[in-house]
Amino acid sequence: MPLKLPLREAKRRSNLVLLSFVFLSMPLSLSAQKNSCVECHLQLENSLRAPAEGFAADVHKQFGLGCPDCHGGNPAQDDVELAKDRSFKGSPERSKIPEFCGTCHSNSEYMRRFNPNLRVDQLALYWTSRHGQLLKKGDTNGAVCTDCHGVHGIQPANFPKSQVFPWNIPQTCGRCHSSADTMKAYGIPVQQVDDYKQSVHAQALFEKKDLSAPVCNDCHGNHGAAPPEVTSIAFVCRQCHPSAGDLFSKSPHKEAFDALGISECEACHSNHRISSPSDDLLPGGKQDVCIQCHDAGTEPHQTGLKIKQQIDGFVASSEAAKALLAGAERKGVEVSEAQFKLQDATTALVLARNLTHGLSLPEIEADLRDGSKILAEVKSRGEAALREAKFRRSGLVIATIFILLLAVALFLKIRDLKSSPKHRG
Amino acid sequence: MNRRTFVNLFLGGSFLGTVVSFLYPVIRYLIPPRQAEAVAKRIIAAKVGELAPNSAKLFRFGSSAAVLINTSDGELRAFSATCTHLTCTVRYEGDTETLFCPCHNGRFDLAGNVISGPPPRPLEAYEVEVSGGDIFVSRKA
Repeated sequence: MPLKLPLREAKRRSNLVLLSFVFLSMPLSLSAQKNSCVECHLQLENSLRAPAEGFAADVHKQFGLGCPDCHGGNPAQDDVELAKDRSFKGSPERSKIPEFCGTCHSNSEYMRRFNPNLRVDQLALYWTSRHGQLLKKGDTNGAVCTDCHGVHGIQPANFPKSQVFPWNIPQTCGRCHSSADTMKAYGIPVQQVDDYKQSVHAQALFEKKDLSAPVCNDCHGNHGAAPPEVTSIAFVCRQCHPSAGDLFSKSPHKEAFDALGISECEACHSNHRISSPSDDLLPGGKQDVCIQCHDAGTEPHQTGLKIKQQIDGFVASSEAAKALLAGAERKGVEVSEAQFKLQDATTALVLARNLTHGLSLPEIEADLRDGSKILAEVKSRGEAALREAKFRRSGLVIATIFILLLAVALFLKIRDLKSSPKHRG
Repeated sequence: MNRRTFVNLFLGGSFLGTVVSFLYPVIRYLIPPRQAEAVAKRIIAAKVGELAPNSAKLFRFGSSAAVLINTSDGELRAFSATCTHLTCTVRYEGDTETLFCPCHNGRFDLAGNVISGPPPRPLEAYEVEVSGGDIFVSRKA
């Protein structure tokens, strides 16, 4: 016959069971928290202490991983011999680092637990990179995972302090690629990072903090880093500049460049030190790039000159219209409608500049003609605004003069009245 | 100082003050201070029913271009129509339901985010409010 306990007694017993469970499990949970790796390494110095210090801020720790997940061993043991048990792997040799990290990072099933969106092809890509190929040949000077991502302090790539966050990448790559000693053996020039820092892309990244600006890995790849082939440079640039690429592909330059084996964009805009594009790159400009292939006076160069003259003329008209509107605005006349129109003229100018990639003079002329009509309207509105300002000022000056005359007349009249015999009497 | 001198000084000072207070606004009008244009905060962009679904209207917001879109779901959205790359005017493309910049083929989604091309930042999004028969667009606070 089942013994039926009163409710209060049953509750008391269940509390006792719970309490005993908590006490019994305490040593277990304490030992689980124990980390003899960190405890010992914090007592050491320099490179042996660094892993324990750095790991506190490591992304792996944030996801609940610890020393044994990479290095094996048993951190629950106080004794060094026991802690470094049969599972202990220690630090991998430099040549083994990619495989070491790849154990987890190439395992899609394992990585999915932490981040289903994380790619798991890094190791495969790495072996296709120049770095990986060097390592395959036994050259351990090639970069491995830890050179770019750090070790025991690894941050997620989207964290601004990460070595692979966009604005830190040039410095990360430059640690090796700006070192003449390191690059000497490979015959690779070392000015790329310095050149990049003077480019329009670096200006966008560092000055405007524009994270969409390309850094080293956007053109060279990251895990599969390699210099792009001549034929692929244009495709790399097209990732962000598709319309310039499309126009170029339809231009007569395309066939000529292909036949000569010249890389498309790079021939005029260079590579790492890409400056802000300007009209000066056109014939007649200070940085005329067309002259590299077309002598002055030849038909293509003359066509380029015409394009530049048309654009220069439009820029001058546009600046004059802007100045006109600014002047009218300063004089207090409302010109927002004209400024709104001016945006269409700016669109025409930017479009014309981009159309230079297609080398079609008629297309550029047609676009600038449309823009000129808009500019003419803007100019007319600006002039009307200035006339309005002049009219208002003239009116005010005339009214002011009349009022002042009236005041003077009143003053004289009052004085006259004061000095009259009647007033004195 | 006797009473007459005091009254004369008082009257003279008052007269001078009156002249200055009259001339000051005149001078300020003739030489206005350099200041930025007042930014338009709210504007009637369209009438209710003016836009068919999956269509858009460009309108002037202050001195800049803005675009009001009636999405294919009938939702009204408004953005600055000035491309964040080189300030060209973007336009709505109904077949792709995106905003497109013709200058360098920049493309934005209907949240203003960059999909492709060189624009570095999203388009500024505006608030849309329907009141009476009008569609008001205002800058977000």
